[in-house]
Amino acid sequence: MSKLDSNYFVAAATIAAKLDYATKVAHQLSLTASNARALTLRAGQSAAGFRPLTDAIHRLSDITVSSSKKINAIAAMLSKMSVEKYRADSAMKYFDAVYLKSKDSRHLASLDKVYNRTKESQAVLMADYQQKIQQLTQELEAVEGELRSAVVLKTLCQVEASQAGPLYQDALDNVAENVEQIAAKIKEQVIFSRHQVATLH
Amino acid sequence: MKAEKIFESKDHAWIVFGRDIDKPNAIIDTNQYMVVSKNNALLMDPGGIELFSAMLSAVIKEVPAQKITHLFASHQDPDIISSLGLWDLALTEATLHSPWLWEGFIRHFGMQNIEYDGIPDEGGRLHLDDVSLEFIPAHYLHSSGNFNVYDPKAKILMSGDIGAALEADDVPLFVDNFDEHVPKMKMFHQRWMPSNKAKNAWVKRVRQLNIDMMCPQHGRIFKGDDVGKFLDWFESLEVGLTMDKL
Repeated sequence: MSKLDSNYFVAAATIAAKLDYATKVAHQLSLTASNARALTLRAGQSAAGFRPLTDAIHRLSDITVSSSKKINAIAAMLSKMSVEKYRADSAMKYFDAVYLKSKDSRHLASLDKVYNRTKESQAVLMADYQQKIQQLTQELEAVEGELRSAVVLKTLCQVEASQAGPLYQDALDNVAENVEQIAAKIKEQVIFSRHQVATLH
Repeated sequence: MKAEKIFESKDHAWIVFGRDIDKPNAIIDTNQYMVVSKNNALLMDPGGIELFSAMLSAVIKEVPAQKITHLFASHQDPDIISSLGLWDLALTEATLHSPWLWEGFIRHFGMQNIEYDGIPDEGGRLHLDDVSLEFIPAHYLHSSGNFNVYDPKAKILMSGDIGAALEADDVPLFVDNFDEHVPKMKMFHQRWMPSNKAKNAWVKRVRQLNIDMMCPQHGRIFKGDDVGKFLDWFESLEVGLTMDKL
Protein backbone atom coordinates (compact mmCIF):
# COMPACT_ATOMS: atom_id res chain seq x y z
CA MET A 1 0.00 0.00 0.00
CA SER A 2 1.48 3.37 -1.00
CA LYS A 3 2.07 6.20 1.42
CA LEU A 4 -0.57 8.32 -0.31
CA ASP A 5 -3.16 5.57 0.01
CA SER A 6 -2.58 5.07 3.68
CA ASN A 7 -1.75 8.50 5.08
CA TYR A 8 -5.40 9.51 5.52
CA PHE A 9 -5.52 8.08 9.02
CA VAL A 10 -2.39 10.06 9.91
CA ALA A 11 -4.15 13.18 8.57
CA ALA A 12 -7.26 12.36 10.64
CA ALA A 13 -5.14 11.95 13.78
CA THR A 14 -3.38 15.27 13.04
CA ILE A 15 -6.75 17.02 12.70
CA ALA A 16 -7.89 15.56 16.01
CA ALA A 17 -4.69 16.78 17.69
CA LYS A 18 -4.98 20.29 16.20
CA LEU A 19 -8.59 20.59 17.31
CA ASP A 20 -7.76 19.34 20.77
CA TYR A 21 -5.29 22.22 20.96
CA ALA A 22 -7.98 24.61 19.64
CA THR A 23 -10.30 23.50 22.47
CA LYS A 24 -7.64 24.34 25.04
CA VAL A 25 -7.09 27.77 23.46
CA ALA A 26 -10.86 28.39 23.43
CA HIS A 27 -10.81 28.10 27.24
CA GLN A 28 -8.39 31.05 27.32
CA LEU A 29 -11.06 33.09 25.55
CA SER A 30 -13.48 32.20 28.31
CA LEU A 31 -10.95 33.44 30.87
CA THR A 32 -10.48 36.69 28.93
CA ALA A 33 -14.26 37.21 28.89
CA SER A 34 -14.43 36.78 32.70
CA ASN A 35 -11.48 39.14 33.20
CA ALA A 36 -13.14 41.73 30.95
CA ARG A 37 -16.35 41.57 32.96
CA ALA A 38 -14.50 42.01 36.27
CA LEU A 39 -12.56 44.92 34.83
CA THR A 40 -15.66 46.77 33.62
CA LEU A 41 -17.28 46.32 37.03
CA ARG A 42 -14.24 47.86 38.68
CA ALA A 43 -14.12 50.69 36.13
CA GLY A 44 -17.77 51.51 36.80
CA GLN A 45 -19.35 54.30 34.75
CA SER A 46 -16.17 55.10 32.86
CA ALA A 47 -16.35 51.70 31.11
CA ALA A 48 -20.13 51.68 30.67
CA GLY A 49 -19.78 51.39 26.90
CA PHE A 50 -17.46 48.39 27.28
CA ARG A 51 -19.86 46.36 29.39
CA PRO A 52 -22.15 45.15 26.58
CA LEU A 53 -19.04 44.08 24.70
CA THR A 54 -18.05 41.72 27.51
CA ASP A 55 -21.33 39.91 26.85
CA ALA A 56 -20.30 39.56 23.22
CA ILE A 57 -16.88 38.20 24.28
CA HIS A 58 -18.64 35.74 26.57
CA ARG A 59 -20.96 34.70 23.77
CA LEU A 60 -18.02 34.21 21.39
CA SER A 61 -16.17 32.28 24.07
CA ASP A 62 -19.17 30.01 24.82
CA ILE A 63 -19.76 29.27 21.15
CA THR A 64 -16.07 28.62 20.52
CA VAL A 65 -15.62 26.35 23.53
CA SER A 66 -18.74 24.28 22.83
CA SER A 67 -18.04 24.10 19.08
CA SER A 68 -14.41 23.16 19.70
CA LYS A 69 -15.46 20.38 22.06
CA LYS A 70 -18.01 19.09 19.56
CA ILE A 71 -15.58 19.32 16.64
CA ASN A 72 -12.86 17.70 18.70
CA ALA A 73 -15.14 14.76 19.48
CA ILE A 74 -16.04 14.37 15.79
CA ALA A 75 -12.37 14.56 14.81
CA ALA A 76 -11.41 11.95 17.41
CA MET A 77 -14.18 9.67 16.11
CA LEU A 78 -13.05 10.29 12.53
CA SER A 79 -9.50 9.38 13.48
CA LYS A 80 -10.70 6.10 15.02
CA MET A 81 -12.90 5.34 12.01
CA SER A 82 -10.07 6.06 9.60
CA VAL A 83 -7.95 3.38 11.28
CA GLU A 84 -10.86 0.91 11.03
CA LYS A 85 -11.31 1.92 7.40
CA TYR A 86 -7.60 1.38 6.76
CA ARG A 87 -7.86 -2.09 8.32
CA ALA A 88 -10.91 -2.96 6.19
CA ASP A 89 -9.26 -1.54 3.04
CA SER A 90 -6.11 -3.57 3.77
CA ALA A 91 -8.09 -6.74 4.34
CA MET A 92 -9.84 -6.28 0.99
CA LYS A 93 -6.47 -5.85 -0.73
CA TYR A 94 -5.18 -9.05 0.87
CA PHE A 95 -8.34 -10.92 -0.09
CA ASP A 96 -8.18 -9.56 -3.65
CA ALA A 97 -4.61 -10.84 -3.87
CA VAL A 98 -5.79 -14.30 -2.76
CA TYR A 99 -8.47 -14.35 -5.48
CA LEU A 100 -5.86 -13.33 -8.03
CA LYS A 101 -3.34 -15.95 -6.90
CA SER A 102 -5.80 -18.79 -6.43
CA LYS A 103 -7.87 -18.81 -9.60
CA ASP A 104 -7.31 -22.55 -9.92
CA SER A 105 -7.86 -23.35 -6.26
CA ARG A 106 -10.62 -25.89 -5.69
CA HIS A 107 -11.75 -24.23 -2.45
CA LEU A 108 -11.67 -20.62 -3.63
CA ALA A 109 -15.46 -20.31 -3.38
CA SER A 110 -15.20 -21.06 0.35
CA LEU A 111 -13.92 -17.51 0.75
CA ASP A 112 -16.88 -15.86 -0.96
CA LYS A 113 -18.93 -15.51 2.22
CA VAL A 114 -16.21 -13.79 4.24
CA TYR A 115 -15.16 -11.73 1.21
CA ASN A 116 -18.69 -10.40 0.75
CA ARG A 117 -19.11 -9.82 4.47
CA THR A 118 -15.87 -7.84 4.65
CA LYS A 119 -16.82 -5.88 1.53
CA GLU A 120 -20.21 -4.99 3.03
CA SER A 121 -18.58 -3.89 6.29
CA GLN A 122 -16.13 -1.82 4.29
CA ALA A 123 -19.00 -0.12 2.40
CA VAL A 124 -20.87 0.69 5.64
CA LEU A 125 -17.68 2.00 7.20
CA MET A 126 -16.97 4.11 4.12
CA ALA A 127 -20.47 5.65 4.21
CA ASP A 128 -20.13 6.47 7.93
CA TYR A 129 -16.67 7.84 7.34
CA GLN A 130 -17.83 10.14 4.50
CA GLN A 131 -20.75 11.32 6.62
CA LYS A 132 -18.36 12.16 9.48
CA ILE A 133 -16.10 14.10 7.10
CA GLN A 134 -19.10 16.11 5.91
CA GLN A 135 -20.22 16.80 9.48
CA LEU A 136 -16.73 17.90 10.47
CA THR A 137 -16.45 20.22 7.45
CA GLN A 138 -19.78 21.89 8.29
CA GLU A 139 -18.84 22.37 11.93
CA LEU A 140 -15.43 23.81 11.03
CA GLU A 141 -17.02 26.25 8.59
CA ALA A 142 -19.54 27.32 11.22
CA VAL A 143 -16.94 28.02 13.91
CA GLU A 144 -14.73 29.81 11.38
CA GLY A 145 -17.68 32.09 10.59
CA GLU A 146 -18.16 32.85 14.29
CA LEU A 147 -14.49 33.64 14.72
CA ARG A 148 -14.70 36.31 12.00
CA SER A 149 -16.65 38.45 14.45
CA ALA A 150 -13.55 38.61 16.69
CA VAL A 151 -11.94 41.26 14.44
CA VAL A 152 -15.03 43.49 14.66
CA LEU A 153 -15.22 42.83 18.38
CA LYS A 154 -11.60 43.90 18.83
CA THR A 155 -12.23 47.19 16.99
CA LEU A 156 -15.34 47.95 19.04
CA CYS A 157 -13.45 47.10 22.25
CA GLN A 158 -10.61 49.45 21.25
CA VAL A 159 -13.09 52.28 20.58
CA GLU A 160 -14.78 51.77 23.95
CA ALA A 161 -11.42 51.37 25.73
CA SER A 162 -10.37 54.79 24.45
CA GLN A 163 -13.46 56.26 26.18
CA ALA A 164 -12.70 54.59 29.52
CA GLY A 165 -10.09 57.09 30.67
CA PRO A 166 -6.34 56.59 31.31
CA LEU A 167 -6.78 54.38 34.39
CA TYR A 168 -8.48 51.51 32.53
CA GLN A 169 -7.67 52.14 28.86
CA ASP A 170 -4.53 49.97 28.75
CA ALA A 171 -6.20 47.09 30.54
CA LEU A 172 -9.25 47.21 28.26
CA ASP A 173 -7.03 47.55 25.18
CA ASN A 174 -5.27 44.44 26.39
CA VAL A 175 -8.62 42.61 26.53
CA ALA A 176 -9.27 43.70 22.93
CA GLU A 177 -5.87 42.40 21.83
CA ASN A 178 -6.38 39.11 23.69
CA VAL A 179 -9.74 38.51 22.02
CA GLU A 180 -8.24 38.93 18.60
CA GLN A 181 -5.07 36.94 19.30
CA ILE A 182 -6.87 34.00 20.86
CA ALA A 183 -9.46 33.97 18.07
CA ALA A 184 -6.64 34.08 15.50
CA LYS A 185 -4.94 31.10 17.17
CA ILE A 186 -8.14 29.05 17.10
CA LYS A 187 -8.85 30.13 13.53
CA GLU A 188 -5.38 28.99 12.47
CA GLN A 189 -6.10 25.47 13.78
CA VAL A 190 -9.56 25.49 12.23
CA ILE A 191 -8.33 26.58 8.78
CA PHE A 192 -5.52 24.01 8.88
CA SER A 193 -8.00 21.30 9.87
CA ARG A 194 -10.48 22.34 7.16
CA HIS A 195 -7.75 22.03 4.50
CA GLN A 196 -6.69 18.66 5.93
CA VAL A 197 -10.27 17.40 5.99
CA ALA A 198 -10.51 18.26 2.29
CA THR A 199 -7.65 15.81 1.62
CA LEU A 200 -9.46 12.90 3.30
CA HIS A 201 -11.24 10.50 1.02
CA MET B 1 4.23 -20.66 -1.07
CA LYS B 2 5.03 -24.36 -1.20
CA ALA B 3 2.78 -26.90 0.50
CA GLU B 4 3.89 -30.45 1.25
CA LYS B 5 2.09 -33.26 2.98
CA ILE B 6 4.49 -34.73 5.54
CA PHE B 7 2.12 -37.26 7.10
CA GLU B 8 -1.12 -38.93 6.10
CA SER B 9 -3.29 -41.54 7.79
CA LYS B 10 -6.91 -42.58 7.51
CA ASP B 11 -8.07 -39.95 9.96
CA HIS B 12 -5.70 -37.02 9.51
CA ALA B 13 -2.85 -35.39 7.67
CA TRP B 14 -0.04 -32.92 8.37
CA ILE B 15 0.84 -30.28 5.78
CA VAL B 16 3.78 -27.87 5.93
CA PHE B 17 3.68 -24.49 4.16
CA GLY B 18 6.80 -22.46 3.48
CA ARG B 19 9.66 -21.59 1.14
CA ASP B 20 7.60 -18.74 -0.32
CA ILE B 21 9.53 -17.38 -3.31
CA ASP B 22 7.49 -14.15 -3.32
CA LYS B 23 8.28 -13.36 0.31
CA PRO B 24 9.94 -9.93 0.86
CA ASN B 25 13.69 -10.52 1.36
CA ALA B 26 14.03 -8.72 4.67
CA ILE B 27 11.64 -10.94 6.61
CA ILE B 28 12.65 -14.26 8.08
CA ASP B 29 11.39 -17.38 6.31
CA THR B 30 8.84 -19.35 8.32
CA ASN B 31 7.23 -22.77 8.26
CA GLN B 32 3.50 -22.98 8.90
CA TYR B 33 1.85 -26.30 9.71
CA MET B 34 -1.69 -27.55 9.36
CA VAL B 35 -3.33 -30.67 10.75
CA VAL B 36 -6.39 -31.69 8.75
CA SER B 37 -8.89 -34.15 10.19
CA LYS B 38 -12.31 -35.25 8.94
CA ASN B 39 -14.26 -32.03 9.54
CA ASN B 40 -11.72 -29.65 11.03
CA ALA B 41 -8.31 -28.18 10.50
CA LEU B 42 -5.77 -26.66 12.87
CA LEU B 43 -3.41 -24.03 11.52
CA MET B 44 -0.26 -23.69 13.60
CA ASP B 45 1.83 -20.51 13.84
CA PRO B 46 0.02 -19.04 10.81
CA GLY B 47 2.66 -16.34 10.30
CA GLY B 48 2.97 -12.61 9.82
CA ILE B 49 0.86 -10.08 7.95
CA GLU B 50 3.29 -10.06 5.02
CA LEU B 51 2.61 -13.75 4.39
CA PHE B 52 -1.15 -13.68 4.83
CA SER B 53 -2.24 -13.65 1.16
CA ALA B 54 0.26 -16.33 0.20
CA MET B 55 -0.75 -18.45 3.19
CA LEU B 56 -4.49 -18.15 2.65
CA SER B 57 -4.01 -18.91 -1.06
CA ALA B 58 -2.00 -22.02 -0.18
CA VAL B 59 -4.42 -23.14 2.53
CA ILE B 60 -7.56 -22.98 0.37
CA LYS B 61 -5.87 -25.20 -2.17
CA GLU B 62 -5.97 -27.87 0.54
CA VAL B 63 -9.18 -27.21 2.51
CA PRO B 64 -12.17 -24.83 2.40
CA ALA B 65 -11.65 -21.78 4.63
CA GLN B 66 -14.57 -22.80 6.87
CA LYS B 67 -12.78 -26.00 7.76
CA ILE B 68 -10.12 -24.10 9.67
CA THR B 69 -11.77 -24.12 13.07
CA HIS B 70 -8.63 -23.90 15.19
CA LEU B 71 -5.51 -21.77 15.19
CA PHE B 72 -2.48 -22.27 17.39
CA ALA B 73 0.15 -19.67 18.25
CA SER B 74 3.12 -21.11 20.11
CA HIS B 75 3.90 -17.64 21.47
CA GLN B 76 3.36 -13.95 20.75
CA ASP B 77 5.99 -13.07 18.15
CA PRO B 78 5.03 -11.16 14.97
CA ASP B 79 6.32 -13.88 12.63
CA ILE B 80 4.04 -16.31 14.49
CA ILE B 81 0.73 -14.50 14.68
CA SER B 82 0.75 -10.86 13.48
CA SER B 83 -1.61 -11.95 10.68
CA LEU B 84 -4.30 -12.61 13.32
CA GLY B 85 -6.30 -9.47 12.46
CA LEU B 86 -6.72 -10.77 8.90
CA TRP B 87 -7.49 -14.38 9.88
CA ASP B 88 -10.05 -12.84 12.19
CA LEU B 89 -11.86 -11.56 9.09
CA ALA B 90 -11.25 -14.65 6.97
CA LEU B 91 -12.47 -17.35 9.35
CA THR B 92 -16.14 -17.54 10.26
CA GLU B 93 -15.79 -19.63 13.41
CA ALA B 94 -12.42 -20.36 14.92
CA THR B 95 -10.64 -20.65 18.25
CA LEU B 96 -7.07 -19.54 18.84
CA HIS B 97 -5.13 -21.74 21.27
CA SER B 98 -2.20 -19.90 22.73
CA PRO B 99 -0.45 -19.44 26.10
CA TRP B 100 -2.78 -17.80 28.63
CA LEU B 101 0.11 -15.50 29.45
CA TRP B 102 -0.06 -13.73 26.09
CA GLU B 103 -3.80 -13.19 25.65
CA GLY B 104 -3.77 -9.48 26.47
CA PHE B 105 -0.80 -8.96 24.17
CA ILE B 106 -1.89 -11.10 21.22
CA ARG B 107 -5.27 -9.37 21.13
CA HIS B 108 -3.38 -6.24 20.06
CA PHE B 109 -3.05 -7.84 16.61
CA GLY B 110 -6.83 -7.43 16.22
CA MET B 111 -9.29 -10.10 17.28
CA GLN B 112 -13.02 -9.48 17.24
CA ASN B 113 -14.45 -12.76 15.96
CA ILE B 114 -11.99 -15.48 16.86
CA GLU B 115 -12.25 -16.92 20.37
CA TYR B 116 -9.14 -17.05 22.58
CA ASP B 117 -8.49 -20.29 24.44
CA GLY B 118 -5.63 -19.68 26.84
CA ILE B 119 -3.47 -22.77 27.36
CA PRO B 120 -2.57 -23.21 31.05
CA ASP B 121 1.13 -23.37 31.95
CA GLU B 122 1.05 -27.15 32.41
CA GLY B 123 -0.29 -27.70 28.86
CA GLY B 124 -3.46 -29.26 27.53
CA ARG B 125 -5.13 -31.23 24.77
CA LEU B 126 -7.08 -30.46 21.63
CA HIS B 127 -9.42 -32.98 20.03
CA LEU B 128 -9.74 -32.63 16.31
CA ASP B 129 -12.39 -35.21 15.35
CA ASP B 130 -10.61 -38.54 16.07
CA VAL B 131 -7.22 -36.94 16.58
CA SER B 132 -5.93 -35.91 19.98
CA LEU B 133 -3.16 -33.33 20.03
CA GLU B 134 -1.14 -32.31 23.08
CA PHE B 135 0.14 -28.85 23.97
CA ILE B 136 3.59 -29.49 25.43
CA PRO B 137 5.10 -26.76 27.66
CA ALA B 138 8.21 -25.15 26.18
CA HIS B 139 8.35 -22.04 28.37
CA TYR B 140 11.36 -19.76 27.96
CA LEU B 141 12.23 -21.46 24.68
CA HIS B 142 12.33 -18.72 23.77
CA SER B 143 9.20 -16.98 24.99
CA SER B 144 8.20 -16.93 28.66
CA GLY B 145 4.85 -18.48 27.70
CA ASN B 146 5.49 -21.05 24.97
CA PHE B 147 4.09 -24.38 23.76
CA ASN B 148 4.83 -27.12 21.23
CA VAL B 149 2.18 -29.34 19.66
CA TYR B 150 2.60 -33.12 19.84
CA ASP B 151 0.65 -35.61 17.80
CA PRO B 152 1.11 -39.13 19.30
CA LYS B 153 -0.55 -40.85 16.35
CA ALA B 154 1.63 -39.20 13.73
CA LYS B 155 4.59 -39.04 16.14
CA ILE B 156 5.19 -35.45 15.13
CA LEU B 157 6.31 -32.63 17.41
CA MET B 158 5.75 -29.10 16.13
CA SER B 159 8.56 -27.49 18.09
CA GLY B 160 8.13 -23.78 17.32
CA ASP B 161 11.46 -21.95 17.56
CA ILE B 162 13.24 -24.97 19.04
CA GLY B 163 15.31 -26.54 16.27
CA ALA B 164 15.10 -23.41 14.14
CA ALA B 165 17.90 -22.64 11.71
CA LEU B 166 18.87 -19.46 9.89
CA GLU B 167 19.65 -20.22 6.28
CA ALA B 168 18.62 -19.44 2.70
CA ASP B 169 14.92 -19.43 1.80
CA ASP B 170 15.09 -22.19 -0.81
CA VAL B 171 16.81 -24.98 1.16
CA PRO B 172 15.40 -28.52 1.34
CA LEU B 173 12.55 -29.20 3.75
CA PHE B 174 14.36 -31.91 5.74
CA VAL B 175 17.75 -31.99 7.47
CA ASP B 176 19.98 -34.17 5.29
CA ASN B 177 23.26 -33.88 7.20
CA PHE B 178 22.92 -33.14 10.92
CA ASP B 179 26.56 -32.14 11.51
CA GLU B 180 26.47 -29.66 8.64
CA HIS B 181 23.19 -28.30 9.95
CA VAL B 182 24.50 -27.51 13.46
CA PRO B 183 26.27 -24.21 12.59
CA LYS B 184 23.01 -22.91 11.14
CA MET B 185 21.23 -23.48 14.46
CA LYS B 186 23.89 -22.63 17.04
CA MET B 187 23.69 -18.82 17.24
CA PHE B 188 19.89 -18.89 17.04
CA HIS B 189 19.57 -21.12 20.09
CA GLN B 190 22.35 -19.51 22.11
CA ARG B 191 21.01 -16.00 21.59
CA TRP B 192 17.26 -16.51 21.61
CA MET B 193 16.96 -19.17 24.30
CA PRO B 194 17.52 -17.53 27.70
CA SER B 195 17.69 -20.43 30.16
CA ASN B 196 19.70 -23.65 30.46
CA LYS B 197 17.34 -24.78 33.20
CA ALA B 198 14.27 -24.37 30.95
CA LYS B 199 16.11 -25.99 28.05
CA ASN B 200 17.14 -29.06 30.04
CA ALA B 201 13.65 -29.47 31.51
CA TRP B 202 12.23 -29.39 27.98
CA VAL B 203 14.76 -31.95 26.69
CA LYS B 204 13.87 -34.26 29.57
CA ARG B 205 10.14 -33.83 28.86
CA VAL B 206 10.47 -34.38 25.13
CA ARG B 207 12.70 -37.47 25.51
CA GLN B 208 9.64 -39.21 26.94
CA LEU B 209 7.70 -38.67 23.72
CA ASN B 210 7.82 -40.96 20.73
CA ILE B 211 8.89 -38.65 17.90
CA ASP B 212 9.47 -39.45 14.24
CA MET B 213 9.53 -35.86 13.07
CA MET B 214 10.40 -32.64 14.85
CA CYS B 215 9.08 -29.62 12.96
CA PRO B 216 10.48 -26.18 13.78
CA GLN B 217 9.02 -22.86 12.66
CA HIS B 218 12.21 -21.83 10.80
CA GLY B 219 14.58 -24.00 8.79
CA ARG B 220 14.36 -27.74 8.27
CA ILE B 221 12.43 -30.65 9.71
CA PHE B 222 14.31 -33.31 11.72
CA LYS B 223 13.43 -36.89 10.87
CA GLY B 224 14.24 -40.27 12.46
CA ASP B 225 17.64 -40.37 14.19
CA ASP B 226 18.18 -36.66 13.68
CA VAL B 227 15.53 -35.98 16.33
CA GLY B 228 17.63 -37.73 18.99
CA LYS B 229 20.79 -36.08 17.67
CA PHE B 230 19.13 -32.70 18.05
CA LEU B 231 18.08 -33.43 21.65
CA ASP B 232 21.65 -34.50 22.53
CA TRP B 233 23.14 -31.43 20.86
CA PHE B 234 20.65 -29.04 22.46
CA GLU B 235 21.15 -30.58 25.89
CA SER B 236 24.88 -29.96 25.74
CA LEU B 237 24.57 -26.42 24.37
CA GLU B 238 25.12 -23.51 26.75
CA VAL B 239 22.45 -20.91 26.12
CA GLY B 240 21.33 -17.50 27.31
CA LEU B 241 22.62 -15.69 30.36
CA THR B 242 25.51 -18.06 31.08
CA MET B 243 27.21 -17.00 27.85
CA ASP B 244 30.26 -14.76 28.32
CA LYS B 245 30.33 -12.98 24.99
CA LEU B 246 27.40 -10.61 25.38
